[in-house]
Amino acid sequence: MSASSQAPIAFEPGAHADGKDAKKSEDVPANAVSATPKKKEPPPESPESIRQRSYVVLSFWAIILIIGLPIWWKTTAIYRARLPLDQMMDWADGRACRPVFPLRISIEADSLQDHEAQHLLRTTQHALDDLNDFSAHHLRLELSPSNASTAATGLSTGGVENEELALVIRLLPGTTTKADLQSYAPILDIYYTPNQIPSSSSSSSSLGNYIANRLRGMFAEEQAMISYLLSTSSAPPERSPKALAPEVAESLAKWTTRSMKYSRTYHLTFSLFTPTATPSSWDIASALEEHLKPLLESFSSISNFTIDTQVQLYATPGVSGNVLKKEDLSGFINAAEWPLSPSIGGAPTINFIIYVGDMEVEGGGKGWLIPQWGGVVIQSDISDLRPAMLIFSNQLMSLLGAPESGSLPLRLMTLVRVRSAGLLLKASGTMGSLARLTLALPSISIPRSVADGVYTTIEHLRKACDGLGGQEALENARIAEEAAEKAFFEKSMVGQVYFPDEHKLAVYMPLLGPVGVPLVMTVLKEVRAWRKRRRGSR
Amino acid sequence: MRQFHSLLLCLSCLSFTLASSDYHEQLLLKPLHPSLLLASFNFQSNTTLASFEQQNFRYFPRSLGQILQHANTRELHLRFSLGRWDAESWGARPWGGAREGGTGVELWAWVEAETDEVADGRWLTLTNALSGLFCASLNFIDSTRTTRPIMSFQPSGDHKNSTFESLHLLHGTLPREVVCTENLTPFLKLLPCKGKAGISSLLDGHKLFDASWQSMSIDVRPICPLASNDCQLQITQTIDMVLDIQRSKRPRDNPIPRPVPNEELKCDTSKPYHTEDTCYPLDTAAREEEWTLSQIFGHPLKGACPLATDGIDPVCISVPHARQVFSSEGSHEHKDSSGFMRCYHLDSEKDFELVLPQQEISEKAPLEQPLLYAERSFIGYGQERGGVQAILTNPSLTEAVDFIYMESLPWFMKLYLHTLNAKINGLDTHQDVIQEMYYRPALDRKRGTQLEIRILIPANSTVVLTYDFEKAILRYTEYPPDANRGFDVAPAVITIGNVSIRTTSLLLPLPTPDFSMPYNVIILTSTVMALSFGFIFNLLVRRFVAVDEADQWDVRSVRLKVAALIKGKLKRFRKRVKMEKKE
Repeated sequence: MSASSQAPIAFEPGAHADGKDAKKSEDVPANAVSATPKKKEPPPESPESIRQRSYVVLSFWAIILIIGLPIWWKTTAIYRARLPLDQMMDWADGRACRPVFPLRISIEADSLQDHEAQHLLRTTQHALDDLNDFSAHHLRLELSPSNASTAATGLSTGGVENEELALVIRLLPGTTTKADLQSYAPILDIYYTPNQIPSSSSSSSSLGNYIANRLRGMFAEEQAMISYLLSTSSAPPERSPKALAPEVAESLAKWTTRSMKYSRTYHLTFSLFTPTATPSSWDIASALEEHLKPLLESFSSISNFTIDTQVQLYATPGVSGNVLKKEDLSGFINAAEWPLSPSIGGAPTINFIIYVGDMEVEGGGKGWLIPQWGGVVIQSDISDLRPAMLIFSNQLMSLLGAPESGSLPLRLMTLVRVRSAGLLLKASGTMGSLARLTLALPSISIPRSVADGVYTTIEHLRKACDGLGGQEALENARIAEEAAEKAFFEKSMVGQVYFPDEHKLAVYMPLLGPVGVPLVMTVLKEVRAWRKRRRGSR
Repeated sequence: MRQFHSLLLCLSCLSFTLASSDYHEQLLLKPLHPSLLLASFNFQSNTTLASFEQQNFRYFPRSLGQILQHANTRELHLRFSLGRWDAESWGARPWGGAREGGTGVELWAWVEAETDEVADGRWLTLTNALSGLFCASLNFIDSTRTTRPIMSFQPSGDHKNSTFESLHLLHGTLPREVVCTENLTPFLKLLPCKGKAGISSLLDGHKLFDASWQSMSIDVRPICPLASNDCQLQITQTIDMVLDIQRSKRPRDNPIPRPVPNEELKCDTSKPYHTEDTCYPLDTAAREEEWTLSQIFGHPLKGACPLATDGIDPVCISVPHARQVFSSEGSHEHKDSSGFMRCYHLDSEKDFELVLPQQEISEKAPLEQPLLYAERSFIGYGQERGGVQAILTNPSLTEAVDFIYMESLPWFMKLYLHTLNAKINGLDTHQDVIQEMYYRPALDRKRGTQLEIRILIPANSTVVLTYDFEKAILRYTEYPPDANRGFDVAPAVITIGNVSIRTTSLLLPLPTPDFSMPYNVIILTSTVMALSFGFIFNLLVRRFVAVDEADQWDVRSVRLKVAALIKGKLKRFRKRVKMEKKE
């Protein structure tokens, strides 16, 4: 371009000259020569050279379009693996899975006649269904096999035969009506008086109502937990249960903030902190063996635990004073000085601390729980670790998210169901976030590993959803959640999030400007000349 | 000094015999010439291997124990060092150099693993975890900075023969790392008394990192007495530092050195030219500096650590018995028969203070001669090639010294092994100076060069070891932010039996590009391409005509055209305004 203006011989753009002539000839065809008397018209161009010029221009453009553009496209394209966005959004919006927790409750009624038992079952189920307003959490009664073998039609369906029973009710004749929940097995003993046996004609029975109320009371907390989880997720509103009472919702909100994120393995660290040099040893090994190991063993189907202990001397707490106020409790742990470093490996650490000292918490009590972190007990004498261990066991249960009431086996089973629901919802939510992110940022790359993670997640979510309530569902939900998090936090996705357009322009401009302008201008001129020629020939 | 050294050795013997005792600590003070003080802190705690495996930690730090278990590490040595040990005037190194690392951070460990790949994985876990624990950039010890020494390092712990087969030694250095207070704080947290009592209460980042030379070390090793199954795991932490007494005595609130007022100058009044304003400084070499413990460390020692119950005196000072040393009440002095060592038993309740007044004594604690003097430097010039020269001197008049010299060089320093040359006393001799050699060449961006040479130096001789290398050109992104500073090359490690010596690290300047280059290159190449393209394109597309046939570029006509255009627009605009008004 620049060369043309400096050249001694004037470069006359052929097309341009033609165009100008065309205009002139249209306006004043007669005295075109006399208007510029000094200027000689160049001889008309031969059609051959015109054709040659258009071939030149064409070939340049052909090279650019056929070779240049694809190369540019290929080298600057960002790899975006195809994600099943619709499916992901379905999961996030709760369309793909309807979380249902069918709880099988078996009734052992050896003392009753079959038809009586059947009738009782029916009336109780009826009473239960009347009481229940939350379809996702459904108690299903059935007769235990000893009864059911003779029963023609149980209420249990064949599809759920492999699920474990949530509870066994044993109906025993007694003098008064009372219920007795066994502490170490999921068995509820119900004593009934003989006059409570329902007659086959009545549609309801007092014993049936009693059992139904009793069951509802036992599972109320679990129901509230699950409905709270569903209400906080983005499930469609028609499916979530009616609003929870404010105080229940508040206590459940506390429960979610308190409990640790679910993991297959937890590290438990028991630490003895003392402000002086004594005591420098404690009998922790036997205390753990006696008070904590049994609890951890019963947890083994949900989570595994590793335990370590330490003694730390000359440790001063983060607050001073002998009476700790409520607001001091959060600052008690001296995070800067106490060696409570997080564990290595993926598993989270739960810390339990015995602080040897004469401190007292305002309003009584010697121990408190730190949400998602652990527990503290202040104790001046460590010769007997039993009280501290009992507090720690309670704290551990609530840190792991177990419900507060019920017998241990029931609490654990509830924990399995609540945890699988929570993980399921969390993984689904992550899927939704990932799908929205993918749509919102078209410039980020999506490596194949993310797509693989998404497919793994969806596969395991499907499995978890189908078998909700059991151990396998928990395991599947855990795998799904892990894969979802891994896919969402894929490192290579974040790297290219922001590569601004100005930046690209700055890189391309020095080349594209000087090369592109002559190419485009020439095409325009050629087109104009061609139109003129066509008009002229017509 | 020999007594000093023998005491150290004796202490390590004690630690074997007193393995049942769980915790022990000791501070050794040793004045060095001129007006310097070497302070060696030693902390040692044991745990039975059984309770370690059960993760019941008492004196052994849990945070470190957990890492060792997670990474299947059986023996660990970690060093943080700063400064240069001046062997010519300070003599042999404390602990025979065994508790010392090269400048920056040095880590070596025996990791149990079935294959090399597994070992590498565990090593990565280990470095990452330690990096978090010690707030150091240990996670930057990648494959290019990791070597597997063959001859230089031997395990110091007792390993069972069955596990010994599957142990992998890995060694990594970070010569660039600046050791600082944030590394000391986690170090102190590992101690049972945590700097609140005992000798560790003297440790303070301000003083430690103000030292002329300092080294922190952590060693973890298993100890299994022969014919017994109750193995123990021992952690030894040491801090050695050489403090300038004058500098340490500066008041903390006024640390800027100022000229001494005229009346306080110590002048040699015997000189004839001595007047009010002319002073010849008095030779103070014969006089011992005056200092106290709290002057040097900022505060007195806060009583003994009550956990150290083995009866070993926690503070020792190596000065001639003729030197006056006053200690605070409640402590008991024990003088050593050798004549140069005294130790103090402390009260755990009271602060402890040592006062050494100014004194003129001729007797000095003797310096122990090091086995070898080593010095290493770059030779050559230019951006392309260079050389390294190591000067190794055997000061002994009677005995030859046999040692292993290990270099681990970064991959971008490409060693020419054929240029490796050893000269004895300036002569190319045919004597076998180089006895044995292990060489593992570098792979670009994958691993560094590893060179281990066994050298024998005859008595009273100097060996000059030289080799040449080529500097690689790095990729744009491989340069650190301060590329012009140069690249640190790890110190060479010299192993003479149990004694080890490290040279200083080197700073290698590499050809450094101009980092605004990519845009310049883009713009320049684009311009060149655009120019050539435009030229060719115009030649091909334009039509050549004679000058008088070309369109004349007439400025007046352009001006008229523009004026007519503006007029037309204005007219139209006015019309529209009128129309609107009418409406």
